[in-house]
Amino acid sequence: MSNVKIKSKNLNVYYGDKQALFDVNLDLNEKEVTALIGPSGCGKSTFIRCINRMNDVIDICKVTGNIEMDGININDKDLDVVSLRERVGMVFQKPNPFPKSIYDNISYGPKIHGKGETKSELDQIVENSLKKSALWEEVKDRLEEPGTSLSGGQQQRLCIARAISVNPEVILMDEPCSALDPIATAKIEELIDELKKTYTIVIVTHSMAQAVRVSQKTGFFHLGKLIEVGKTEKIFKNPDNKMTQDYITGRFG
Amino acid sequence: MNIVLIFLITIFSVSLFFYGKSKTKTISIKDNIKLNALPKFYGYYLVLWCSIPALVFLLVWSLFEPIIIKSIIIETAANQGAIFSDKNEANLIYEKIKAIHLGTYFGDIDSILRESALAYAKFINLFTNSKVVLIFAIIIASVIYSLKKIKNNNKARDDVEVILKGLLFVSSLIAILTTLGIIFSLLFESIKFFSVINIFDYLFGTNWSPQRAFVRDASSITAAEFEELKDAFGFIPLIAGTSFIAFIAMLVAVPIGLFSGIYMAEYASIKVRRISKPIIEILAGIPTVVYGFFAALTVGPFFRQVGENLGLTVSSESALAAGLIMGIMIIPYVSSLSDDVINSVPQSLRDGSYAVGATKSETIKQVVIPAALPGIIGSVLLAVSRAIGETMIVVMAAGLAANLTINPLESTTTITTQIVMILVGDQEFDSPKTQSAFALGLTLFIATLILNYIAQRAVKKYREKYD
Repeated sequence: MSNVKIKSKNLNVYYGDKQALFDVNLDLNEKEVTALIGPSGCGKSTFIRCINRMNDVIDICKVTGNIEMDGININDKDLDVVSLRERVGMVFQKPNPFPKSIYDNISYGPKIHGKGETKSELDQIVENSLKKSALWEEVKDRLEEPGTSLSGGQQQRLCIARAISVNPEVILMDEPCSALDPIATAKIEELIDELKKTYTIVIVTHSMAQAVRVSQKTGFFHLGKLIEVGKTEKIFKNPDNKMTQDYITGRFG
Repeated sequence: MNIVLIFLITIFSVSLFFYGKSKTKTISIKDNIKLNALPKFYGYYLVLWCSIPALVFLLVWSLFEPIIIKSIIIETAANQGAIFSDKNEANLIYEKIKAIHLGTYFGDIDSILRESALAYAKFINLFTNSKVVLIFAIIIASVIYSLKKIKNNNKARDDVEVILKGLLFVSSLIAILTTLGIIFSLLFESIKFFSVINIFDYLFGTNWSPQRAFVRDASSITAAEFEELKDAFGFIPLIAGTSFIAFIAMLVAVPIGLFSGIYMAEYASIKVRRISKPIIEILAGIPTVVYGFFAALTVGPFFRQVGENLGLTVSSESALAAGLIMGIMIIPYVSSLSDDVINSVPQSLRDGSYAVGATKSETIKQVVIPAALPGIIGSVLLAVSRAIGETMIVVMAAGLAANLTINPLESTTTITTQIVMILVGDQEFDSPKTQSAFALGLTLFIATLILNYIAQRAVKKYREKYD
């Protein structure tokens, strides 16, 4: 059993008057892939957005409870969000490369955090990130072209490279393959397998098959509550909860 | 008469609409056939066929009727023994004849005029009658044609679409032709001007004093007068003044407008935005003449006072005062437009930037603004053309003397102001002074065109597409 990297305790999230998460207690293990499944609007994305405090962007959103990363509460008001996000990267549902060159897309993060002071250091970071996201071979000759000129799957790998570029410890993925075709999806899944050697990964997905393929641990959310969590194998073969059983067999959702 | 005709055509068309609708309904029920279009399309079809040919005919007729009558009448008058040496005199006689016909002529009426006036009345009558007859003939013909079509269950929906497409095409054609017309009228008057004044003397001359050009006719200019004229129409001081004032205005408007746009789009809460955005936009609704007297009566004297206290000579009409007020006037354009384009940058780009740990200002500076840049440049350009075209504030606050200066505390003038100065009051249409207004207009037009072209190229080159 690996170490617990992130631990949420009694996490509640409110959007205005509406409560989106109810007392979520979930442990995420280091260098493992945790998949979060559940029907739309059940709070999976809300949960992972708490881990890098992306919910701060939404005015009416209020988060109570604790999320501990390496024992430190990251839901603390005084926590420096910038350095938290340096440690917790995120990949979004729809590929969102900046309207800049491929090179600038990746060097953006390191520059902001003052990494890679010389051009050659920066070049190295860009090359490493692209190699880790399995994009290097495809784009190494056209780093000056706009990131938006790539195909959907390449764009998403570019976004993964962008997340990797600041050398985070955790990568959050919010349905990273929902806008991609099966071939691009297979590539991303392969990549996730590779990345979990270095990073702790949390992936939100609507595809049961994908959860089985990529994750070691799975959590099932329903209506803002964490219904069941356990080893992926167990959740999909022999869940304890009737509702989980119904969801994974496709009876609702 | 025309109004009555138009009214009749309208009433007739509208009743045809209902007729066509019910007629096709009964046909389809009686003969048990499936119509090719909804009954209302047959109604539209009849309306369009009834009204458009008749209205087009009426328009064309009204355009040509006066011209034809005029030439006929002038010819009749000549046959009667009227004597005129040139076109102007012929026109004068024609106007007299018309006035006699209308009963508004109070001079002596000789037999020639009386005979011609009678002929005029006869022709007017003839033309009016034939107009009415022809219009009714056209209406009857087109209605018979379209009714026949309808009875054969034509594809009324497709036909209506074609006719409507034609109407829309004609509308855009009118817009384009009007523009071309304006350009050509500028061009022809300018050519007349440049036949007197050398184009290079105009473009590179540094002295603008058109009041000197009091010669009536270009052909009667003596050599001495010509020398005098040559250096009276120098364009440089005007373009310098225009650019200078516009530059001062942009110095005020671009930073303030852009920053307030960014604040509105990125930082302001919904509540603040809801209150402050309309307040800023009110600035755009203030008439420019109000800004003008504000500049002339408050800001100008204030600057002079401050300048005196500092030991500077400040003219009470200064480029600085005009530019400053013009800048304030332009702020809402820049602010409102850049607010809109910044708002339309997708949230996902901001999220992507926040997710790698960028702060809000870093995100705005490095992601949002570059993505919104084409729109921002567009808003700035709109502001520039506003500044160049603005007249009232400059007339009131910057003065009328064409000084070639880069001292913002002195008075200066702009192209538009000079056009106003040239064209107020009584004018001789063939004096170079008047024609110079057209030349100025043309130059201004070309300058704005070049500016727009450069800007479009720049936007294309530097745009960062995000979709």
